[in-house]
Amino acid sequence: MRCEEAGALLDLYLDGCLPLELSTKLDRHLLRCAACPGELRSLEQTIALLREASSPEQPSPSFRERAAARLQSQLAGHLRSTSKDDVGRQWILPFTGTEG
Amino acid sequence: MAFRAENRHGLSESPYEARLVARFQAGEAEALASLFEMHVDRVYAYARHLLNSREDAEEVASEAFLRAFERAAGYRGDSEFRGWLFGITRNLCLDRLRQPRLMLLEPEAAECAAGDPGDTDRIDTAVVVRRALADLSDEHQLVLKLCDVEQWDAADAAFMLDKSVQATKSLLYRARRALRRRLAELWDDAPRGQARDGGDE
Repeated sequence: MRCEEAGALLDLYLDGCLPLELSTKLDRHLLRCAACPGELRSLEQTIALLREASSPEQPSPSFRERAAARLQSQLAGHLRSTSKDDVGRQWILPFTGTEG
Repeated sequence: MAFRAENRHGLSESPYEARLVARFQAGEAEALASLFEMHVDRVYAYARHLLNSREDAEEVASEAFLRAFERAAGYRGDSEFRGWLFGITRNLCLDRLRQPRLMLLEPEAAECAAGDPGDTDRIDTAVVVRRALADLSDEHQLVLKLCDVEQWDAADAAFMLDKSVQATKSLLYRARRALRRRLAELWDDAPRGQARDGGDE
């Protein structure tokens, strides 16, 4: 395997999407090559730094509850069309127990 | 980032999800709650990354679910619920981005003030990484946030980016290299005392 071919496979390798046969060939190349392991490490490091710096801001604690209440209010007509007697009380419960 | 089998839209809806949609269409409230829980984190995260505002992202996510459920409730036949939900979310975000808005700064200063003094290097690094990310094109920023930060499936990211799965992967690979290049430039430009040890280029 040449460096050019190896370089084109590094992202798939990092994402765990490379077929086993190609992955084995790339592993062999990485053991012998002076440049490609550094290329792989720098990509790994870039992704790791990005994840560490980009921890997503969570929604406000009341978001799920407010969104659920809005859905309940707006879709009550559709949900009441079932044969169950107490639909409103049943379907609000799953939201309120999963605050993010 | 994980990859999985795709249907003709690039999105894959599991049989379980399809059954939930059918149950919601029949009026089952618990199915609605399950579908909400299944998708709420990704819908919010996408809107949050694109809009850079928690409040805006919450409003968009709430509205997107309402519209998708309303559409599913009135639809007969196999519902493409996930496709509707993601498409509605994307359009709502784009509409909101077209509106005039105040520019707000990211709360990095607050993070620095709240941190432990021992975390200075980590915070400095995070500030540089965020700056490097902000210097990239909007498309590169979004694909990195969806695929590498949120670790979405390629098919879901492709739908939100309005691209094929293969084009999304290519975009991601170019974006990673662009970020690496920009990071190297920023660290090379930093004063000697602030340069990060062990540069990656």
